[in-house]
Amino acid sequence: MPVLTLREAPPERLDFLAVNPLALSGLSQGDAERLVVGTTRRGLVLGDCFTVALDGSDTLTIAGGHERLDRVGAAMSEGAIRVEGDVGQRLGAGMAGGSLTVTGNAGPFAGSGATGGTIVIEGDAGDHAGGAVHAAKVGLDGATLVIRGSAGDYLGDSMRRGLIVVERAGAFAGARMIAGTIAAGTVGDHPGYGMRRGTLVVGGHGSLMPTFVETGALDLVYLRLLAKSLRPVSARHADLLANAPNGVPKRYSGDLATIGKGELWVAA
Amino acid sequence: MAAWVKGGATDADAAVMAAARLLSSAHAPVFAGLNAEVAAIRAAYDLAGRIGASVDTAGGDATYADLGALARVGAMQAPPAEVAGRADAVLVVGEAPLKSPLVERLRGTKPVRGRAAGAERSIHHLRSNQDLAVQIAHLRAHARGHMTSDAGMAETARAMASALYGAVLYDPGELGTLGIEMLQGLAMDLNESTRCFALSVSDGTQDRAALQVAAWTTGQATRVGFGRRVPEQDPWRFDADRQARAGEADAALWLASLPTPRPTWLKTLPTVALVGADAAPDLAEVVIRVGEPGRETGGVLWNEGRAGLSYRAPEQGADLPTAADIIARIAAAVAGRGAVAGRSAVANSEDA
Repeated sequence: MPVLTLREAPPERLDFLAVNPLALSGLSQGDAERLVVGTTRRGLVLGDCFTVALDGSDTLTIAGGHERLDRVGAAMSEGAIRVEGDVGQRLGAGMAGGSLTVTGNAGPFAGSGATGGTIVIEGDAGDHAGGAVHAAKVGLDGATLVIRGSAGDYLGDSMRRGLIVVERAGAFAGARMIAGTIAAGTVGDHPGYGMRRGTLVVGGHGSLMPTFVETGALDLVYLRLLAKSLRPVSARHADLLANAPNGVPKRYSGDLATIGKGELWVAA
Repeated sequence: MAAWVKGGATDADAAVMAAARLLSSAHAPVFAGLNAEVAAIRAAYDLAGRIGASVDTAGGDATYADLGALARVGAMQAPPAEVAGRADAVLVVGEAPLKSPLVERLRGTKPVRGRAAGAERSIHHLRSNQDLAVQIAHLRAHARGHMTSDAGMAETARAMASALYGAVLYDPGELGTLGIEMLQGLAMDLNESTRCFALSVSDGTQDRAALQVAAWTTGQATRVGFGRRVPEQDPWRFDADRQARAGEADAALWLASLPTPRPTWLKTLPTVALVGADAAPDLAEVVIRVGEPGRETGGVLWNEGRAGLSYRAPEQGADLPTAADIIARIAAAVAGRGAVAGRSAVANSEDA
């Protein structure tokens, strides 16, 4: 298993776009150590910050993460990366396949534009997790993003496809959502701001938008199917639908400022 | 010329050399403020490209709130002169736009051209008694006919829909990207049946001049970094305040030949400050007094009324250098030290 071991805290933000199992599998030890990862005129290379040990397999371990490691697993299409520690912005951005696990916290824009694969953040995620970066049309776009801790504001902003499962999220979760599903233990104020379509399933929430209207407590077959698909990812989130504390969950429809075809299911 | 290095008065040459020394020995310098005339902003971009600095502006958050919405959904935007000349209904969103002299001008005049010429002008106000972005969404839901529950919102929506030429004034920093995108959606919805345009009220900085320079220099907006030689735009990474807080920037050039609120990091980060009349010895490690464009020196500035760049002649003669001159002298001194972007160049400058 290839292992990159962080020797000391990086003096600047590092860009890991070119560091993934597939890219490393074709490189010699020396070539891998000479991969440019610096973002300032220092011109740092991988070997400046990490001890590199390669064996050609498709699972890369980054032993010792740091909040300055940007774009870890970005554009990855196969294989697996496990980061023991924190990462910076754009974790798994544009990822098409494979799996990505971070044992610590992630910076903003985790999973932005990811079309496939699974991203698991065992700690917290910053703002815009599964959200769109500047000028991008969409956020998460088909991948599965699991956040075991808290996410910041704007979770799943402009998300178009895929699934986000999170324990707690900040304000404006699911803002400008185009489609896809977010399941959250709790969300902050104004979930679903400007959403067009898509599904939010929450255990609790802050202030609701005045442009969401309650459409009843409904027991739909679709909810049981959704719960079934959530269960392998998180039984607790599946139970929000299948075993809601107050019986069947309440459904709100919105955002009526747009076409209003989104839905917010509240279990509590 | 007034100049100070570490609080002590010095001459121009010594200050320029100190500035060049400070900037050329840095690994990740930040150029911030850019509240200055176009020539100075151009010179700053040139120097930033040479030494691998990143660039941000004094009003970066507000600028990117506007740009974020523009890049996603476009904009129905009108300049102030058009709004004053044509609008028969104006909606002021939030409190910040009320500080603009444009609002008083709109209150005191009538539309004089276009479809609404000669009509009375009605001014409506959306107060920020709760989240403004949420209120705009609420208004848009009423304008689309999806909601009728709030009488005030319904009345405002009716007034804008029945106008011949509506205008919506907002402050991008107060409203934020989500609210601006919603507001642009409202303007686009209204344009299905009448005319309606948004007008982003500037915070008075030269951010829009910097945007023009950034566009023709890099093909991108501000918040660009040259650390990897090619310009990279990343509004999160190159936010100067964030870089200073995170300890990523190791030196700064603060360019503010016009009066500008100062960031808190100015005294904690090794900084070269090029400032106008509010220059003071303890402002930064190196402080150089430059002429204020439009008052002490001539310069091309953003003209808010015309929404374009125009030359402003000095109001009074002053024996002060322009910020562009000083930056060009710093650039020449930096080049003399061999400090241009790249790993070996930094190593060389460290050896020196």
